[in-house]
Amino acid sequence: MRQRLALITAALSGSVVLLLLFFQPVAGAYLALVLNWAIIVASVALLVAIASLLVTHIRFIAVGRRGFIYSFVLITAFLATFLPGLFKGVEDPGYLGWISAIQKPLELSLLGLIALVMMSAAVKLFRVRGWSVLTVSFAISALLFLFLNLGLSDWSGNQIFSTLIDAFLRLPVIGARGLLIGVALGALLVGFRVLIGQESDNE
Amino acid sequence: MTLSELLYALLGTALSLMVFSYLLGDNLFFGIAMYILVGMTAGYAAAVLITKVILPMLINPLAELPATSALLGLVPLLLSILLIWMFFKKSARISGIALGFLGGVLAAFAVVGVTRGTLTPQLLSIVDAFDPALMTQAGYPNWMNIFSAFLMLFGVLAVLFVFHHREKFQTLSSGSQTWLDGLTGAGQVFIGITFGALFVGLFSSGLTALIFSVSQIIDFIKLWL
Repeated sequence: MRQRLALITAALSGSVVLLLLFFQPVAGAYLALVLNWAIIVASVALLVAIASLLVTHIRFIAVGRRGFIYSFVLITAFLATFLPGLFKGVEDPGYLGWISAIQKPLELSLLGLIALVMMSAAVKLFRVRGWSVLTVSFAISALLFLFLNLGLSDWSGNQIFSTLIDAFLRLPVIGARGLLIGVALGALLVGFRVLIGQESDNE
Repeated sequence: MTLSELLYALLGTALSLMVFSYLLGDNLFFGIAMYILVGMTAGYAAAVLITKVILPMLINPLAELPATSALLGLVPLLLSILLIWMFFKKSARISGIALGFLGGVLAAFAVVGVTRGTLTPQLLSIVDAFDPALMTQAGYPNWMNIFSAFLMLFGVLAVLFVFHHREKFQTLSSGSQTWLDGLTGAGQVFIGITFGALFVGLFSSGLTALIFSVSQIIDFIKLWL
């Protein structure tokens, strides 16, 4: 019943939005109204998800679950960010300085760590998948792009080499274009399935 | 350097070292750093959502009741109450309406956005490569552009065929067909080249961030030497 209600609402609201989008010059105001509703509902959904995360971790602390220290850290970090944001405002320079002083080093070091993890992941790729067309072309491409990005060699004087490098630099665009079209077709299919009420597993 | 700047620098260095401690294995310090990140991100997101969306777009307009704009604001309020109700009673059937509304709107925007923003421009760029003006140069065929256009078409079809062939292979496990295998192999080459380029881009960014983080730690240590 719950699923049927959700499917009918999804099909109806989706169809209405689609119609409003097609007749945008006439129905622009209505579209903005529905979009505002969607923004509000999505925000509430996100807040409900955050509340659910907090309740789960408070429960972990209450029952003294193994590793509850992490839950304590999470709740403390949440309150230390949420309460000043609520009372001082999220645009307060002092508040933003506090947020960036913690988030910037964390995110930068994580990105740095990713560089090291990616190296080992690339080696693991060969161990797991072995030598195949995909892995070999990946390795050759990665090595060549790494070499070209270093900028150690200047091929501009050699007409043949510079033409070859230009052609090679264009090759990833072809693959990316194919992947984008494939992903777009998949997304389009899922979107239409939701609109006609066929997507029953997405609740 | 002011006291607050010094404290922020100390905090940043400590957090960076906690993240890099992962190189010694998954440990308490790395876990704490990750939970700090999750907690702060959730706190910041909640503060932004409440002050920038919920209060100005949902609560404040209700003060103008019974104006039409305020009455229209009751619809998202009702949907929000249904969502909050789901938080307390997960099996609530009626809460599906709010999720359905959100799913439907997102699906409609996805259909239009993907068609206008991705599919059409990508397909047009393939068609544009076959522009007769590009195919000739001073009355003679421009073989380089002709080759590029056909390579683009072949590459895109081959990559799309990798998905199709893979799906067919998984569902039907049909017998091997040489030309299909060849086309799929060519598609895999293009995918491999693209992933290789993406890998290098990500790796370069990561390496830059790593160098920056390490240099910040060294600078902080130098302050005390």
